Amino acid sequence: MFLERHALRLIMREPRRSLAVGAGVILAAALMATVLLFGSASGSTLTRRALADVPVDAQAVSSVGSDPQVAAAQIASDPAVTAALPVDIVHFATAVLDKAGSATQTSVGLLVGIDDNYAQQTGLFTTAEGTRSPGKIAMSRDLATNLGAIPGDSVTFTLPGGRSLKLEVSGIADITGGDLVLGPTDAAHRASGANPPTNVAIIDRASLDQQVLPLVPAGAVAQDPATTGGSGSAPVSTPIAAVDRQVHLRYDLAQVPGDPVAAQTWLDQVRRRIERSAAGAFSIVDDAIAALEPVAGDLLWGQVLFLFLALPGIALAVAVSRLAADATSDATRRHLALLRARGARRSQLARILLEATVGISFVSAIVGAVLGVAVGWLRFGAELASADPVGSTVRAVIVSVAVVTALGAVAAGVVLRDQLREEVATGRQELQRTTPPLWQRLFLDVAALVAAVLVFAITGGTALKPIFTAEGNATVTLALTSFVAPFLFWTGSTLLLLRLAMRWLQRGTGLRRGLERLFGGGGLVAAGSLSARAPAGARAVVVLSLAVSLASSVLIFDATYGAQQVVDAELTLGGDLKVVPSTPTAALPAVQAVSGPEVALATPFVDRIVYVGSEAQDLLGIDPNTLPGVAHLSDSFFDHQSASAAIDVLTSQPDAILVSSETAHDYSIVMGDTLNIRVPDANGNLTVVQFHMAGIALEFPTAPKDAFLVANQSYVAQQTGNDRISFVLARSSGDPVAAAAALQQRVGQDWAVASLATVTARLANGITSVDLAALVQIEVAFAVLIAALGTALFLLASLTERRRELATLKAIGAEPAHMRRAMAAETLVIGLAGTLTGLVVGGLLGFAFLQILAGVFDPPAEFPVVPFLGLAGLIGAVTLALVLATAIANGAVARLQVVAALRER
Amino acid sequence: MDAVLSCSGVTRAYRRPGMEPVVAVRDVHLRVEAGEFLAIQGPSGSGKTTLLGLMAGLELADEGDVWMLGHDASRMSSTERARLRRSRMGLVFQSFGLVASLTAIDNVALPLTLSDVEPADRRSRAANAMAEVGLDGMEDARIDEMSGGQRQRLGVARALVGEPVLILGDEPTGSLDDESAQTVLALLERTARARHASLVLVTHDPVSAARADRRLWMRDGRVAEKPI
Repeated sequence: MFLERHALRLIMREPRRSLAVGAGVILAAALMATVLLFGSASGSTLTRRALADVPVDAQAVSSVGSDPQVAAAQIASDPAVTAALPVDIVHFATAVLDKAGSATQTSVGLLVGIDDNYAQQTGLFTTAEGTRSPGKIAMSRDLATNLGAIPGDSVTFTLPGGRSLKLEVSGIADITGGDLVLGPTDAAHRASGANPPTNVAIIDRASLDQQVLPLVPAGAVAQDPATTGGSGSAPVSTPIAAVDRQVHLRYDLAQVPGDPVAAQTWLDQVRRRIERSAAGAFSIVDDAIAALEPVAGDLLWGQVLFLFLALPGIALAVAVSRLAADATSDATRRHLALLRARGARRSQLARILLEATVGISFVSAIVGAVLGVAVGWLRFGAELASADPVGSTVRAVIVSVAVVTALGAVAAGVVLRDQLREEVATGRQELQRTTPPLWQRLFLDVAALVAAVLVFAITGGTALKPIFTAEGNATVTLALTSFVAPFLFWTGSTLLLLRLAMRWLQRGTGLRRGLERLFGGGGLVAAGSLSARAPAGARAVVVLSLAVSLASSVLIFDATYGAQQVVDAELTLGGDLKVVPSTPTAALPAVQAVSGPEVALATPFVDRIVYVGSEAQDLLGIDPNTLPGVAHLSDSFFDHQSASAAIDVLTSQPDAILVSSETAHDYSIVMGDTLNIRVPDANGNLTVVQFHMAGIALEFPTAPKDAFLVANQSYVAQQTGNDRISFVLARSSGDPVAAAAALQQRVGQDWAVASLATVTARLANGITSVDLAALVQIEVAFAVLIAALGTALFLLASLTERRRELATLKAIGAEPAHMRRAMAAETLVIGLAGTLTGLVVGGLLGFAFLQILAGVFDPPAEFPVVPFLGLAGLIGAVTLALVLATAIANGAVARLQVVAALRER
Repeated sequence: MDAVLSCSGVTRAYRRPGMEPVVAVRDVHLRVEAGEFLAIQGPSGSGKTTLLGLMAGLELADEGDVWMLGHDASRMSSTERARLRRSRMGLVFQSFGLVASLTAIDNVALPLTLSDVEPADRRSRAANAMAEVGLDGMEDARIDEMSGGQRQRLGVARALVGEPVLILGDEPTGSLDDESAQTVLALLERTARARHASLVLVTHDPVSAARADRRLWMRDGRVAEKPI
């Protein structure tokens, strides 16, 4: 207890020292706790995002003999269920189109019977072309292509048991997103990653029940459509019932916990509750759980990434503790000398110092963790509230306190060990190294940089790679090895910077002359001081440089990431705004309706299914005069020609057409060839329109998923008599979100208006749905604080070590302005060296971070985006922080008691 | 003779929260005439250094008046007092008061540098001052390469470089061996007299004080004409 009491006295009687040492630890713990909470909040975002993408949360598969209507009513009464939608599925063995004397046949597929409200409730099976009429089918694009069928044709389906029936085609259905509900529901097939069928015909459920079901014998078994292509896995021999009667469920997502694991537990409880109430009438296949399975993994990797992004900040904040120990070494020496005079042995002094350091670090870490929790809750409170709030908060506090206490104690302990040596051995004012530290002699800085380049070359730099789970859910895999290169680069550049800064300050090349010219006598004094205290000055330069590099790298990363999201969104949406008329509208009135103060330019756009031979393709009808002003057209979108050249051809040649490379290859089309394409007229009848091939389009605004063609909208309208457009694309005059709101108000609620923001949110998948801007803001704020604290501590350490020197200067006639200029000169050197090198290292780190996430961008960003405004703000904030730090130091100089300081020995 | 410095009823006390004030200088009256060599002798803790600080305008008196070279110290700003010290006074300290990060000549030239004297001019004047104290040839020496005696001679050179009319020395020989102490003291006296500058020396050493034209004794903050 004797030693503990003295350790406590050291903490309490030297409050300036305790506060200074604790400040860095507080910052480190606060940053770490905030980042950990950000990780937890991200879990909530990921869960919500993953569930929002699921069209059907669960499928209740009826047992043989049970009544689906009764099941639907029973299920709908569960408090978690917001919609219970009956769906009847009948497998067919073949589909045949007998037309113009020749028959085309496909293999197995599904007839899916849904009610009218199904598409509205789930977003699945919308009609892409034509209509859906009772008793008629809307075919999937694949089935239409395989058969060469168009609306108006009749297709004969052979059902299990051998009976067949003929159904008329009324339209084309979009089955995108329907893989899970169309695929097999048994665990064996799902586990094997079986592909869903592509030959699908959608029909109204009443017609299916009346016309199709009676033709299928009870107990009939279908040929398994999924065994033909199961992601390379072995075929599953489980028999498939020919008739599958299901109820598709939508849950109230507001009730789902934010934590992905808790959300899975909740979904499992709902499943068990519903199954229990049904007493075996049906079993539940949980699609939402399947969507959440990759989220837990994504979250774990995401948290690793977030911590990695914050690691420099945490390390820096701890390094500030070392500067603090330097700054307050006089207080420590005084106390040690006192204890020594009272007979304390060296081992006892060491223990007192250790206990005092750990004590300060521990208490500061707790304070920091609490601060971090407060910041985290203020910033991500809404997400945290649904993501295990107590557990995530307690975890953040415990982990940050434990890690930062250990780091802070080690950092401050190194200085204290040196001070103890000094106190016992010589009592010198400053420990001068006679030889460079070991890492400099071994050139570990250069070795780390070389290793970083090698590792980067070997791993390819990309840490995150998108893959698809057996259920088809996108997830990311993250190779921890890919963090090695940035880590080595960061470590190497830090050490190299330390070496170079120390050498530069020691030699003072140009420093003395420059500072004297700028600051007069104060500058000369500052140059001498910086040269004499080169190791401490170099540490301050490095701390500031790394703080700036941390902030600038995350700013660059965030700007590039955001820009890439906009590029993706623009490509998908086609422009800033997309407006879909409520009723078929011609190009001119539609564009006129959209044009207004919030719209800079509008262009009509047609997306129509046409037939190249028997193959259904998307024809994109555009206005080449206005589209380039609305949509981003990259040269990379076109093969062997620039975007402007491709558009020029369309402008000058009305019947020009751009085809996809697959189409050019499959049909052996070359430039100038004539193409006869069947295009629907105003009545849906196909009309042959002649085009001339004018180029190959690889990608195009609105990002068509299937094979596509690009032609003049006006030419198509003239040739078919069908001038209806699909939608209008527009460029907003200002903020797209505000423009979308104003436009929506102007055109009325019947018109669908979408903006980039809508698409960005929808495109976000897994880890990319996390709002990295929040993390960036927090890291930049901490970096600025670290920069301010680091510089202030360096200057205060400088004052501590030079009290007599400064007192002498005042005594021989240095005016307060001279002292202020000397401080300003030191700050300028540290500030300029730290900020400039920080911006360079930050740029390189930003690029390295970008490489880590390159896998989730499609297309990946080629160059980092430099956020000049953000960087200017950062430099402004750092400058302000340095001015404040200098003001604190100037205050200390002004308060310096000259006579007392001159008397000190 | 004209007084270059005078103190009239000067009192200075140090106050710390929760503690009784410590009166370092109590009701001091003294005059220093032009060209006079005055020694103030007293034991450690008698208030000598505080009194010297008051005479140099480094601190202000709580009570009484200090006139420095015709100026009332209490009516001057800290900047004005600093300028006066730099232009017309020279200070020599027991612990030399040198800036370790500067070369020898830069230390000597420091008052001129602070006055924005042209580099060539100040180097020439500093070199002359160094030569005057016998340190010619050591212009670019580092402070930690010099002996104690050399360092104090350098301190004297710095005090002389501005052509002061008043030189204040705070135990200038306190850190030196006897031989060096006598050398430095003789140097101070010789150069002060050569320039007709007044020299005020505070010291606990009777031998050093004995060289002065006039001696005052100090104990517990009070000054007397005779030993107290």
